[in-house]
Amino acid sequence: MAANDLILTHVTKRFGGLVAVDDLSLHVQEGQIYGLIGPNGAGKTTVFNCITGIHPCEEGSITWQGKEISQLPTHKIVRLGIVRTFQTIRLFSQMSVAENVMSGRHIKSSQKLWHGIIHTPASRRDERENWQAVYDLLQFFDLQKYAAHTVGSLAYGIQRRVEMARALAVNPQLLILDEPAAGLNDNETLKLIETIYRIREKGITILLIEHDMDLVMEVTEYLTVINFGSKIAEGTPAEIQENPAVIEAYLGSDDDDF
Amino acid sequence: MDIFLQQLVNGLTIGSMFALIALGYTMVYGVMKLINFAHGDLVAGSAFVGLFVFTQLLGGQVSVLVVVGVFILTIITIALLGFTIERLAYRPLRSAPRLSAVVSALGASMVIQNGIMLLWGPQMHIFPELLPTIIWDIGGVVVSLIQVLIMALSMILMVGLYLFVEKTKIGTAIRASAIDQDAARLMGINVNNIIVTIFLIGSSLGAVGGLFIGLYYRGITFNMGWQYGLYAFVAAIIGGIGNIPGAMLGGILLGLFNAFIAGYISSTWADAFTFILLIVILIVRPTGILGERVAEKV
Amino acid sequence: MMKKIQQLGYPLFFVVMALLPALLDSRWLAVATTFVIFTIVALSQDIVLGKAGMFNMGQALFFGLGAYTTAICNAVFGWPLLATLPLAIIIPAIFGVLLAGPIIHLRGDYLLVTTIGFNIVFVQALQNNLGGVTGGPNGIFGLEMLGIPGLAAYQQFTPYYVALAALILTLFILRNLESSKVGRALHYLREDDLAAGSVGINTRVYKIYSFALGAGIAGMAGTVYANQYSAVSPEAFDFLQSVLFFSIVIVGGSSVPGILLGVFVMFVLPEIFREFSTWRYFIFGFAMIFTMILRPRGLWPAKFGRIPKIFTEKG
Ligand SMILES: Nc1ncnc2c1ncn2[C@@H]1O[C@H](COP(=O)(O)OP(=O)(O)O)[C@@H](O)[C@H]1O
Ligand SMILES: [Mg+2]
Repeated sequence: MAANDLILTHVTKRFGGLVAVDDLSLHVQEGQIYGLIGPNGAGKTTVFNCITGIHPCEEGSITWQGKEISQLPTHKIVRLGIVRTFQTIRLFSQMSVAENVMSGRHIKSSQKLWHGIIHTPASRRDERENWQAVYDLLQFFDLQKYAAHTVGSLAYGIQRRVEMARALAVNPQLLILDEPAAGLNDNETLKLIETIYRIREKGITILLIEHDMDLVMEVTEYLTVINFGSKIAEGTPAEIQENPAVIEAYLGSDDDDF
Repeated sequence: MDIFLQQLVNGLTIGSMFALIALGYTMVYGVMKLINFAHGDLVAGSAFVGLFVFTQLLGGQVSVLVVVGVFILTIITIALLGFTIERLAYRPLRSAPRLSAVVSALGASMVIQNGIMLLWGPQMHIFPELLPTIIWDIGGVVVSLIQVLIMALSMILMVGLYLFVEKTKIGTAIRASAIDQDAARLMGINVNNIIVTIFLIGSSLGAVGGLFIGLYYRGITFNMGWQYGLYAFVAAIIGGIGNIPGAMLGGILLGLFNAFIAGYISSTWADAFTFILLIVILIVRPTGILGERVAEKV
Repeated sequence: MMKKIQQLGYPLFFVVMALLPALLDSRWLAVATTFVIFTIVALSQDIVLGKAGMFNMGQALFFGLGAYTTAICNAVFGWPLLATLPLAIIIPAIFGVLLAGPIIHLRGDYLLVTTIGFNIVFVQALQNNLGGVTGGPNGIFGLEMLGIPGLAAYQQFTPYYVALAALILTLFILRNLESSKVGRALHYLREDDLAAGSVGINTRVYKIYSFALGAGIAGMAGTVYANQYSAVSPEAFDFLQSVLFFSIVIVGGSSVPGILLGVFVMFVLPEIFREFSTWRYFIFGFAMIFTMILRPRGLWPAKFGRIPKIFTEKG
């Protein structure tokens, strides 16, 4: 087993009486682009919330690099190399694009708490290096010209890119994307696909939820399909497309993306 | 044992007043997610308006009709004032950052509090004796007519409000708006009207609370609103803010707690103990006793 | 153009502030000193409220804690006034950590009410003469005054310059804070607590940090205050005072110029229009409502976007 695998076994998450994730198991291997799909309300986002510690699961185990992480707080999970984006964009909307991306450098910065009161040559150097890293990332995402713009005033597609840039600033080993193509036009989606490949080239494992089936079928290598919180199928995109249970689930819902 | 029973009666009396005032906070908070800081000052204003209505308008002679008149005219005045505050200070800020609304509420509170001071002066006034001083001594426990009346009337008002909110169409709309304003709007509920209704009801209950304070404590000052308002707000939080039965429960509990602190420890530390209680409750149950905990959707 | 004004603004402000005592009689010098001290407290409040976005309505507690620490150490234990300063910073900071710790997870308004609560408990403790050292309702008098050796002739100016020095130190710290990882973390968690956690920020630590730093600075202002009046008493640290600091920060827009403006309006204008003193809070109340309606982000909203030149030059 490779070191950087994410393994969910029998994960269950309830909200009151509702079982949002029901006894779900899956295995994301290092270097994969892994897709998690299912109709609206199937519990996909909740799976991500369990992995990232936002809503810790009640039952089951989640291991990452062989370590149990299911009950760790979010910020500790990030430090282990797992970072995410949100289905509904969550940026620091009054702040500039550069500052938003800089937030991802937080855990990489060597500044101590007292550097908030007084600077030292070392803290200034650290500050410079991190800004440089932000600068490089803005180039990677073709965002340089928006660096000083207030992020909340930018177009939706650009905000999505900023959110990904922020996540990458953490230098993650596993990047989790919740519907990264939602709200993007065709052109932007094509650029997104290209970006996803470029991120993978950096050796980053990607786990994504997506409704755009063209994108899913094109980029992912392995898929898990869930409905009502439990797994109904898994396999390669080609296998999934043939799977009767999957077709049933999508036809049974009003979801016509498939 | 005597102290216990005596403080039980006193505590229930104070608690009823806290509960009445707390309802105004909790209803507004439930729908608007805003602490209506001016509410406490409306309560104080009510005592002064009651004093004015009795001595200046209704001749200053006690009779059943006059007492009823004082209550009705005062309630109407305070309800209109509550309505005006909502229009002028809160409605324009519905979509503004939360802190702006908080500061506007603080401003409204300052305006009313100092308005009372400018009208009646900074000195303490004595509220008229609208009810005969009848006192019963039941095996060493002293109960006054005023206490009985405060408890009975508060109980009736609270049960009435509870039935109104649970059983009527407007009540359902109020509860729906408290859960999710936007969804309520989509369901065809006129949230503006609901907010106006809430301010009218909350201010009226606060007005009754203010008159009770006048009747019970007699001494009234322009700045007493913060004191009672804060206690009532704490009561609302203890019960679970936004929750109507919670405000009643919180009010009664806080009243009893205060009475027992005063009876067994010392009233000079009453505020300190109240807030320590609040902090302990919030540590144990961050959403109050009856408040529900909801996980934020992301 | 704006840039020019900004570059000129600070030096000009400090030159005016430094020369001010030459133009003022003793009453107005006292007003000016109070202005400077309250500005420091409002700036310390801004760290918690404006930057970290936490509804703290008890800042007067930390201000008072600093003032009483100085007063008690000086009057009861006979320490030199200046020697009390470190303790007057550290004790409020420790209280900041201890008090914030258990309540930091509370939602906005709950936090607001609990911090009011702390403030009220504090004042009640002072009034009840806790531990027999606070002097009860009258407070503590007859403190030593700081003197600058060799300048005894100018003694009347010392409180003002001491306060000004403290203000400069505060602004220096705030500037460092803004351009550090810590300062940005505070902004992030204000904007979106959950998103901040999702990039690995331990928001709890930074929330408590903001309380501790704000408390330490307010404590320092407390020492300066005790020095100005050579006395301290409970009502100066009442929670209503906290309400004013809270309002100043929001009405000002949580920027340094906005806060200066707010403190000026709240504490200096009433001295100019003394004949209207009974109308003071009535008018302020209306002013607060109208400011918020017309400028919901305050009179002089804080600007973000402090990013290095590399971004603006090449891009
Ligand atoms: N914080 C929450 N509180 C209560 N119910 C929730 C919460 N988050 C999600 N749910 C419920 O869990 C189910 C799965 O939601 P979600 O994971 O968002 O679905 P998906 O991302 O697949 O569309 C839905 O029924 C949703 O209403
Ligand atoms: Mg989802």
